[in-house]
Amino acid sequence: MAQYSVYRPWAAESRGGLDQLRREMDSLFNRYTGAPATGRSRGVYPAVNLYETADAYTLTAELPGVDAGDIHISLKGSTISLQGERKIEYESQADASLHRRERQAGTFHRAFELPVAIDADKVEAGHRNGVLMLRMPKSPEHQPRRIAVQAS
Amino acid sequence: MTESQALQAREKQELEGEGARPGPVFRPDIDILERPDAYLIYADLPGADENSVDVRFEKGILTLDAQLATSPEPSWEPLHTEYRVGTYHREFRLSEDIDPDGVTARMNNGVLELQLSKSAARQPRSIPIQAG
Repeated sequence: MAQYSVYRPWAAESRGGLDQLRREMDSLFNRYTGAPATGRSRGVYPAVNLYETADAYTLTAELPGVDAGDIHISLKGSTISLQGERKIEYESQADASLHRRERQAGTFHRAFELPVAIDADKVEAGHRNGVLMLRMPKSPEHQPRRIAVQAS
Repeated sequence: MTESQALQAREKQELEGEGARPGPVFRPDIDILERPDAYLIYADLPGADENSVDVRFEKGILTLDAQLATSPEPSWEPLHTEYRVGTYHREFRLSEDIDPDGVTARMNNGVLELQLSKSAARQPRSIPIQAG
């Protein structure tokens, strides 16, 4: 069964308050444990970062070794979802023995609800060096507008 | 082939004491296979391209280093961060003799694929015995 969860990390109360609190807790925790500070949600693959600019959201996901054809991206309303499978096949290496196995294979499914609607027709997806990058322009009503100031 | 299982995320492992490099340094996940004639090593290096990868084999120790080809642009405001980016470093000892000239490396979709040929087995040599 694929893992499925919708993240709303930017819900109104989390933009400043909870997120800030979480970062401070992480930092306090890490000061005592020496663990690196990350906001990763445990057990969820792939790890995703989201960024915002004035006119778009950009999502990046680390998916090394996953073929573009094995990544399915869908958009419903303001929810973007990624699903697919990471395949690692050593069956062809019949005469080889496996000494160490750290890389994992399997299926994945993640979904993210974006703060505002996006322009579905203008979403661009790229996949380079094992990193998926999705650029999702905000819908026209959420685009910044330049207001001309007229001299009187 | 067994049914696919859902992937579990693993925390990137950050290395300590790599002070000579700027920014965080991560330990990539690797698989190591051994064939009769070679070792095959696969390392996950998301974000690194073939020009940024440095592989060295010296005194039985294989060292991998890689830089990121691209980073988030400064104008992007982070909304949600689950992974950090940085350079990659890993080294390990290989037990058998490797032919230093028999190392090939290529990058495929963020995965480094290394093939290290074993040095030609010491061929049993027959020593002619000369009649005295």
